[in-house]
Amino acid sequence: MAGIAASDADVVALLMRQHGDIRNLFDEVEQSTGDERRDAFRRLVRLLAVHETAEEEVIHPFTRKSVAGGEDVVKDRLAEEKAAKETLARLDDADTDDPKFLSELAALRAEVMAHARAEERYEFIHIRRSADPARLASLASGIKAAEAMAPTRPHPGTESAKKNLALGPVAALVDRTRDAVRKTMGKDG
Amino acid sequence: MTFNPLQQQGIPLDRQLRNWRELDVEPIDPDHCDPYTRCRIIAMNGIEVEAILFSHQFARHCPDPEVKRQLAEVRYIEQQQQKVVNWLLPGLASVLETTIAYEQVAVDLTGWVARAEPDPYLKQAYQFGVLEDFDHLYRYANLYEMIEHRKADAIVEGLTEVMPGRPTKLHHRHPVDNVREPYDRATVDPLSRLHALTIMSAEQQTMNFYMNVGPQYMEPIARQLYQEIGLIEEEHVTHYESLVDPGESWWEQLVHHEYNECYLYHSFMETEPDPKVKAIWELHLNMELEHLRIACDLMRRHDGREPQEVLAPELPNVLTFEPNKAYLRELLDTQMDLTTLGTGYVREAHERFQRMQEQIHGGEEPPSERVMVQHREMFGREYRSQTEGEHPDAASRERS
Repeated sequence: MAGIAASDADVVALLMRQHGDIRNLFDEVEQSTGDERRDAFRRLVRLLAVHETAEEEVIHPFTRKSVAGGEDVVKDRLAEEKAAKETLARLDDADTDDPKFLSELAALRAEVMAHARAEERYEFIHIRRSADPARLASLASGIKAAEAMAPTRPHPGTESAKKNLALGPVAALVDRTRDAVRKTMGKDG
Repeated sequence: MTFNPLQQQGIPLDRQLRNWRELDVEPIDPDHCDPYTRCRIIAMNGIEVEAILFSHQFARHCPDPEVKRQLAEVRYIEQQQQKVVNWLLPGLASVLETTIAYEQVAVDLTGWVARAEPDPYLKQAYQFGVLEDFDHLYRYANLYEMIEHRKADAIVEGLTEVMPGRPTKLHHRHPVDNVREPYDRATVDPLSRLHALTIMSAEQQTMNFYMNVGPQYMEPIARQLYQEIGLIEEEHVTHYESLVDPGESWWEQLVHHEYNECYLYHSFMETEPDPKVKAIWELHLNMELEHLRIACDLMRRHDGREPQEVLAPELPNVLTFEPNKAYLRELLDTQMDLTTLGTGYVREAHERFQRMQEQIHGGEEPPSERVMVQHREMFGREYRSQTEGEHPDAASRERS
């Protein structure tokens, strides 16, 4: 098995690092204020949307098809995702300066983290067991295509929040991510 | 403030058993807790695990069925205490995250004890060991960033610096050079006994933890690093357990264990900011006071001695988790190149050390070096958190 250094070609390593990126962004949102918080929160929302879309397009289908009991494993993950998405929907156009924002954000963080750890422990572990390196690499290419749709770092300049908003609503982003993943997976997978 | 556990009334043993609802504690929040709350939980878990293992060993060496029953009864309660304490850790935390917290415990607990230890030979043992825990924190922190894209500072929160200590590859000494000389039970300061028991227990828990969680990782470098550092924890347990006078009777050792638990629960109760966790420290202190009373009775009956003869008249200053940055920097500046020879310390790599090094490394770089190489390949730099400036040892500064 390849070391972690080569693991951009390993879908599980890639997703685990994205879980870390998501957690870092939660920290950034909590620790910032004003425009910076608004911008960090937009990036978080986008990363979450892209990450979950990619998992739905790339990871869950593989688990369903190739892992014993995979159908049920995915069902549990989708239930967690649904809960997180509902909280996210409530927060999506929230005012990040609202005094209630941080407690809502904490609820979202708890749901997202529980979902991420459950994936790592109950789904990813089977993927590494069931997929050969070539398969792990082709799955990774799908995730990377999605990743390109959501920058984790702020856009330079003072207009960053506005620019991020100008990228459009989350639903459109999900559609574009899905198209990009399917195009890549069609080529590589 | 004076607190004499021998004069306090605890909770009667037959009222200490907890039901499932009472055992079902709410874990701390891994992203918003005080890092030292997590350290106290990890340290106290190590103390309870030692209490349980010691009691089992005692029972296996004890021919008296009445005493065995008494030990079993107290031990069951200690198991419940361990369940409550360790279950304060959240399922949300990854194994590696908890590992980094274990190393923060090792650094700041051993650092504090080294500062407070009155006996110079024992103090040297803690100063020697802490520089190795410090390096383990740095190696695991680099692994953590590789696997989870998170910085160890999100866990230690600037309270503990993350940078090289004595290089891990030089920790592999010949086992006979890990055995120290014990203190003398007739003349030792009672505080020294508590320190030795505390650090031995914490290191033993770390050893057990790495032994069991290391193979849960899939990444080869992670598996290998846990093997390497796990073997150093074996050295550390050997190092610290040999400080304890083996001439102490089983009864006396039991009393010291219970007394130390009172000391630590009292200390943690006094310093804990999280009210829910503080309530647990307080409850457990009140349980331990009764365990101590029972142990003292056993000692009087079977050893024919008064526990007061071997115990301090009151608890020492509260043991405190706090930053030890300046102290550690001083040690980094002066004790990096130490190793052990027999029961002493030397600065040269002697023949037995060299032979051990050749054999264990087999002509290759060990996992603790390869993890740094792989990290540099991925990020083009190392992970460090040097809140107080450059590394005091010029050779340990990061080369860009």
